[in-house]
Amino acid sequence: MQTAETEIRIKGLCVTFPDKDGGEDIHALTDVNLDIKQGEFISLLGPSGCGKTTLLRSIADLQRPTSGIISVKGRSPHEIRLSQKYGIVFQSPVLYDWRTVRRNICMPMEVIGLPKKERTRRVDAMLELVGLTKFGKKYPHQLSGGMQQRVGIARALALDPEILLMDEPFSALDEFTKEKLHMDLLDIWKKTNKTILFVTHNIQESVFLSDRIVVLSPHPGRVSAVVDADIPRPRNLDCKGTAEFSALVNKVRNSFEGV
Amino acid sequence: MTRANKEKLTDIMVILVWVAGLIILWEIGATIIAQTKRTPANVLPHLSQIIESVFSDKMVSNKQTAWQIVISNAGITLWRAGLGFLIGVLTGFLLALFMRYFKAVEKTAFPYLMMIQMIPILGMAPIVLAITKDINKSRIMIAAILTFYPVATNTLAGLKSVEKEKLDLMHSLAASNWHIYTKLLLPSCVPYLFTGLKIAAPMAITASILVDTLQGSGGLGTMLSQSLKHAISIYVFWQIVFVSAFIGILSYKLMSVIEKLYSPHEKAKAAKS
Repeated sequence: MQTAETEIRIKGLCVTFPDKDGGEDIHALTDVNLDIKQGEFISLLGPSGCGKTTLLRSIADLQRPTSGIISVKGRSPHEIRLSQKYGIVFQSPVLYDWRTVRRNICMPMEVIGLPKKERTRRVDAMLELVGLTKFGKKYPHQLSGGMQQRVGIARALALDPEILLMDEPFSALDEFTKEKLHMDLLDIWKKTNKTILFVTHNIQESVFLSDRIVVLSPHPGRVSAVVDADIPRPRNLDCKGTAEFSALVNKVRNSFEGV
Repeated sequence: MTRANKEKLTDIMVILVWVAGLIILWEIGATIIAQTKRTPANVLPHLSQIIESVFSDKMVSNKQTAWQIVISNAGITLWRAGLGFLIGVLTGFLLALFMRYFKAVEKTAFPYLMMIQMIPILGMAPIVLAITKDINKSRIMIAAILTFYPVATNTLAGLKSVEKEKLDLMHSLAASNWHIYTKLLLPSCVPYLFTGLKIAAPMAITASILVDTLQGSGGLGTMLSQSLKHAISIYVFWQIVFVSAFIGILSYKLMSVIEKLYSPHEKAKAAKS
């Protein structure tokens, strides 16, 4: 189903932060090498301090690498960011509380200056995609946490980005809402065929969602394994009970180093 | 009856109890004063006497009744306070923007802002008067100086309170500085700005009245001191006490109303709770 075309290529990526207390530099990421194909669902999995968010931010051009090369579609992350090809979803929904749901989704389109008619059309489509058609005129605080996060996803998809970057988007939600959103996300992914990079610290979540799991270990932050999550698709919640699923969870768990 | 209505009713009851309590205390005080002092009106007249003086058509000076004097001078004071307030809001807001945009401006200006705020206006007023050599200008200036500080600091706090993720989102969209300010930073600091405005509005009026007392050329403060020196009826003083308190509260309320009109999401929030 997936094309073999490489979308993101990371070579020898290192990110070092100077220590604030004047001690040794902190090696957030050391020698990361990774190829990501177009349309792949990749999880960046690891405990806190393993550099998974730093890796995401480096790809998003929100963090400058200390050394190494990232290329996205053969171009630099900086060029990709300037051409608005990234959609980002954060851990908190990061909605503007003075704007309605509609106008929140609209915001990126205002920034790139789309005409009003096109904005309205796309907002309608996005609301339908995330199942919030009835809630367009509500303000964020009138929605549940799960709905707010869906608005965040709709906003990230509004510019039809090529790559969706998600930084622990569901970690603040309760288990029931989380499972619902997992199914929704897989559905959206199937419909839109985006490349998704999904940062998480939840092993089950990464196994359930991804094609491949990039396991990161801390001190120094590094890739300790890349695990293929080859459970057949379409997946539903029942597959979490299978032996195949448990075996994969164990395999991923055992691939951590020095935690 | 809905819960919101019930809460509103409770609020009104609380206010009524307060007002009734104050009236009773005032009247007890006035009764005692009336029995012990020779000129009770100078110390604490009955409320009824003050109300009577408002409606009395007795000319107390310059072919004006006491109430006419108060109202015409309140106009003068309000106009100056308002003008100073506007100047203060504008400069405070712009300085906050500058301080957010240029770190160096913040480092240079902020400590001195604090110092200006620490000088008592009673000390500052004669200096400003000596510099401007004009009582009108110094009234406006003092009101502006007092407004300026709460507006500048609150706006700056608002600009700095924006979460990192919201800025990251803007950067990920390759948003220009113009868009970052107009779509994110400025709307974010609106609640903070209004906090500053609500502090500043009554202060500007108080300042304007205080500066009036320095030199006599109209304004509530001028009439206040003339009345206290018995140049005109003492009831002018009592009326001014109430009118200025009322104007002060009104200026605060006005800011709240503008804030509500400007932020519909807050209204939706209030309706929900």
